Amino acid sequence: MTVRQRFILILFFSLAAVFAAFVIALAVGSTTIPFTTVIEALFSGEGELQRYSVIVRQIRLPRILLSFLVGAGLGMAGVIFQGVIRNPMVDPYIVGISAGAGTAVTIAIVFNLSFTFLYFSTIPLFAFLGALITVMVVYNLARTGNKIPVMTFMLAGVATAFILDAVRSLVMVLGTQDIQQVVFWLMGSLSGSSWGDIGMILPYYLIGVVPMVFYLNDLNMILLGEESAHHLGVNVERVKKLLIVGATLVTAAVVSVSGGIGFIGLVIPHITRMIIGPDHRKLMPLAAILGGIFLVISDMIARSVIPPMEIPVGIITALAGGPYFIYLLRRRKQERW
Amino acid sequence: MLKAENISFSYQSGSRILKELNIIIDSGEFTGIIGPNGSGKSTFIKNICNLFHPDSGVIYLNSRRLNQMSAGELARSMAVVPQETNISFNFTVYDLIMMGRNPYQDRWGRIDDEDRKKVEEAMRLTDVRDFRDKTIDQLSGGERQRVIIARALAQSPEILLLDEPTSSLDINYQGEIFDLLSYLNRERDLTIVVVSHDLNLSGQYCQRLILLKDGRVYTSGSPGEVLTEDNINEVYEARVIVDDNQLTGRPFISIMPREQGDYLDKLDGAGRVHVICGGGNAQKLLQRLYRCGFKVSCGVLNQGDSDWDLARRLGFEIVDIPPFAYIEEEDLDKNREIFSDCEVILVADLPFGHGNAGNLLQLQEVEDKDIILLQRRSIEERDYTDGKAAAVWESLTSRDNVHTVSDVEEMIERTSQLITKAD
Repeated sequence: MTVRQRFILILFFSLAAVFAAFVIALAVGSTTIPFTTVIEALFSGEGELQRYSVIVRQIRLPRILLSFLVGAGLGMAGVIFQGVIRNPMVDPYIVGISAGAGTAVTIAIVFNLSFTFLYFSTIPLFAFLGALITVMVVYNLARTGNKIPVMTFMLAGVATAFILDAVRSLVMVLGTQDIQQVVFWLMGSLSGSSWGDIGMILPYYLIGVVPMVFYLNDLNMILLGEESAHHLGVNVERVKKLLIVGATLVTAAVVSVSGGIGFIGLVIPHITRMIIGPDHRKLMPLAAILGGIFLVISDMIARSVIPPMEIPVGIITALAGGPYFIYLLRRRKQERW
Repeated sequence: MLKAENISFSYQSGSRILKELNIIIDSGEFTGIIGPNGSGKSTFIKNICNLFHPDSGVIYLNSRRLNQMSAGELARSMAVVPQETNISFNFTVYDLIMMGRNPYQDRWGRIDDEDRKKVEEAMRLTDVRDFRDKTIDQLSGGERQRVIIARALAQSPEILLLDEPTSSLDINYQGEIFDLLSYLNRERDLTIVVVSHDLNLSGQYCQRLILLKDGRVYTSGSPGEVLTEDNINEVYEARVIVDDNQLTGRPFISIMPREQGDYLDKLDGAGRVHVICGGGNAQKLLQRLYRCGFKVSCGVLNQGDSDWDLARRLGFEIVDIPPFAYIEEEDLDKNREIFSDCEVILVADLPFGHGNAGNLLQLQEVEDKDIILLQRRSIEERDYTDGKAAAVWESLTSRDNVHTVSDVEEMIERTSQLITKAD
């Protein structure tokens, strides 16, 4: 079996898994709905199906779709950041995006800035701005001349994240009455997702995905080293810049609706790479699918494990992803691409 | 043709590395760029392949300005084998070489028949077909380097630049890589520019060498013209001996180690000795004297004699006469003049015939200097003067100022004792 045939086979199975995950996630919840009813309710809201139709179409489906988009986005952004920075231990959170978003949202909540507009919906906007500004700061901190050295970029990201986290903690201490709201957002949750959320993030999301798809093959060359990539005709600095901007856009869009959902951006690219190898043209679509499935299932567990309470999904992903990641590290100490 | 015109370059915080460098490399040449560490070799290569941009000056590739070419255009006419190929991931050798086709492919790297053909050819030339499905870290250093060269060839370039392609390879692989480059240059008309700090390798293989010093071209030309003792002494500040490689006729460089041992400290610049030698019997003695740091003169010697040749290359002072000539009175006068201010006279156990017996006879008049005779073989065995030389040798041995030793090490030790005692 050639690599290509293998890829197509894996792709086929994972798409089937997406369908299965969707159906299961639609069925499971505080009210469990039989599978056949789920399918029927998707396409018809007549008669006695009406009750289920509202749950399936208005409550569960947007939430599941959003979970999928968030998981896929984090998986793809993880692939991009790991590739650009050429370090398999990097994820979108390390370079300061979540810290930037978290700090901006905390400030917005504590200083009641979010009330100026339509209450809750301004929070995503703040998350988005915070992430974008942070990445721009980190990017410019790391830049020497026209280049962005990988090591400096990572260090600048970690340092900036530390500073921002400190600022966020300070702001939280000052605004004690809002702590619970902030903490819940920071832990990551998809509860209360609506079609409106999907509509809100989709434009940013799609714009961010374009360069990520466009430069997949160039990213393969960059994996050989930036000099080698240059010698093979890749405009390295431009590709890096556009990929980082794209991945940041997607991550910020995702973070704005879901808060801090850890480990997907780190673990999913890893697992996908073990399945399909380092070629980004295959790695990226598969990481998107697996990341999506992973979050759909995690969110299903989060909202159904102790009904009617919901656990923040970030806790589930960290509890599932963390130990698995440690297991991976132990099993293959020699990490390679 | 590659032309660098007055290029200067400095790193962001440092001093100028390249100083108005002018280099022309014609199509089809096999050029080596050599020079000591910090002379700007690698920096020059990085400017040539557009990785760095010169602060001033212009680089032309086939009369087009390099900085006006896109990365893709450049990759189609120039391939680079960088110094460090630090790869550890799961791309197969075939995939890796196929990446050389990137400058010819569309955005998503779709492979066509032309790509496959070029990759097969590159793999055949570099002989890497057997491990096409392996990953790079399953290969040895030499195989890995061949794969990187194959990837460069898949780019179908006119010029191949290599930065220290053999620096981390064992000697068998070094030859292998340079043989391959030589073949590609001859049979494929590929222009090759190789940066190397291995003077011998580049001297053996390159048609032309460019010797850099402090960011400028010190000299350039054929290996024979560039790799001279004077040039290397001047640029590398190293004492070397340049021989002809007997098989290739190319220059071959050996370094001359100096012994920083006890002798040198004790001698402290003194230690003038005169050696009577000839016929190649004193090779080891001369080498040891050189390495111990003695100031040595030799005479009288016939030109072309192997001791004469060695003494000349070690930079010793020599009183010499034409090949096969007999030693005349005036030659002995010259010899006397030279050894008059030396401290010890050393006599190797050379054979004496009528031609060179004068050297021995002259010693009879020396009474104020220490003389050491080396006696590994008895004088009778090497006397071709019907006993005359043997008689003189015997009479010398009975004098107070004459000592006999039985091997070279003892001779060196004795010499140094005599000199330090005299001080």
